[in-house]
Amino acid sequence: MEFFEEHKKQIMLATIAILIVVIFITYGRKTKATFVESALGFVITPVQELTTNVGNWFGSKIDWVRNKDNLATENEQLKEQIALLEAENKRLRKYGTENQRLSELLKISQKYADYHTTGTQIIAKDPGNWYDVFLINKGRDDGLEANMVLTSSNGLVGKIIESGDTYSKALSILDSRSSVPAMSQRTEDLGVVKGEYSLMNSGLCRMEYIDSEAEIMEGDEIVTSHLSDVYPPGIAIGRVKEIRTEANGLTKYAIIEPYVDFKHLDTLLVIGDILQQNTQEEAQ
Amino acid sequence: MRVFITAIFIIINFLMQSTVLHYIEIRGVIPNTTIILVVSYALLRGSTEGAIVGFFTGLLQDIFFGTSIGYFTLFNIITGYLFGRGNHDFYRENYILPMMLCAVAVFLYETIIYIISFLFRGQLNFIYILSNTLLPETVYSCIFTIPLYRILFGTNEWLELKEKYKYRLF
Repeated sequence: MEFFEEHKKQIMLATIAILIVVIFITYGRKTKATFVESALGFVITPVQELTTNVGNWFGSKIDWVRNKDNLATENEQLKEQIALLEAENKRLRKYGTENQRLSELLKISQKYADYHTTGTQIIAKDPGNWYDVFLINKGRDDGLEANMVLTSSNGLVGKIIESGDTYSKALSILDSRSSVPAMSQRTEDLGVVKGEYSLMNSGLCRMEYIDSEAEIMEGDEIVTSHLSDVYPPGIAIGRVKEIRTEANGLTKYAIIEPYVDFKHLDTLLVIGDILQQNTQEEAQ
Repeated sequence: MRVFITAIFIIINFLMQSTVLHYIEIRGVIPNTTIILVVSYALLRGSTEGAIVGFFTGLLQDIFFGTSIGYFTLFNIITGYLFGRGNHDFYRENYILPMMLCAVAVFLYETIIYIISFLFRGQLNFIYILSNTLLPETVYSCIFTIPLYRILFGTNEWLELKEKYKYRLF
């Protein structure tokens, strides 16, 4: 102990130097959690799950008390909407089978294949205010790996960046380090959806590198494009809220309003087996 | 005993900050209780223990939410060390000084994180970040310091009393 007190400064400097080296070695290359991290996760994540569930329970009770009066009217509205959607769904299913038949006839593979999905739950969020990283309660034991894609029932949420045995670390599309190759559904104009810090708290993101000649408009639907290794094509991201021309005049950028409400996320779907399926299709 | 209680404080702080504190965020900003913990330990116990607490809080955050090991660890260690330097020079029973120092620590810490990981990637709107993140977080953390410092101070007094008996220091 005396040794420590005497050489405090040297020890501090040595630790700082070692940490700086470790930062550069480990930066961005880790896709699998080490044994120690997995073991820690095994202890910590169940408690996080518990506290999140308790928090959610209280939150839902408070919401219930607050919205008690509106529930009846909302229920009626939703029933009407369900009837409408069911009719629409039937029509679309007919289109789907027709599409399948026609593409079989033409011998082209389906553009938007079905994927295996796993349900999962968010158990913790980044403790700082800068980033939008969260933990989900499934990991390698359930077959999840880095670069698998997370969606909610409405649209794209993010991707897994690191997986431990019983938990995974995921990056949302609002995070300023995330970028998703995307296109507009109507005009097929390409771009990249990036998170931006100043838009993160209002739940918006930004689509960059749109050609200045592109005919993209407000209200257009944005989906993931075919250009990505990670994201399968055709997953809905959001709607264009605003379009501006960049200062250089060569490209445009758009403010995107995601379909997903990032403040009230709870259960998610993990899309897996993407690469395997695609390669199988190609082999066939 | 002291090690055990400190470990529990660190883990509870991490759990709370990553789950429950998000329910009381104001305009997307949550108080930085990690820095409050590190600075309080540094003020109560000196720079060595401040740095140790900083190391473990940062390591937890790096393992579960960081993209590289050591990033938050480094900042937390430096915070703990620097704010522990003056712990012999003031009365710990005073509440104003810990509040001020925590506010200063949170502000400096977040500003440095902004400069290193946002300014260098082309996020130049410092005014926006100042008014939407840095200042609200500083004020929010400053308010949170009062109950947290009270708890840590009380626990520390109790532990020191026990240690006095144990090692027969008087």
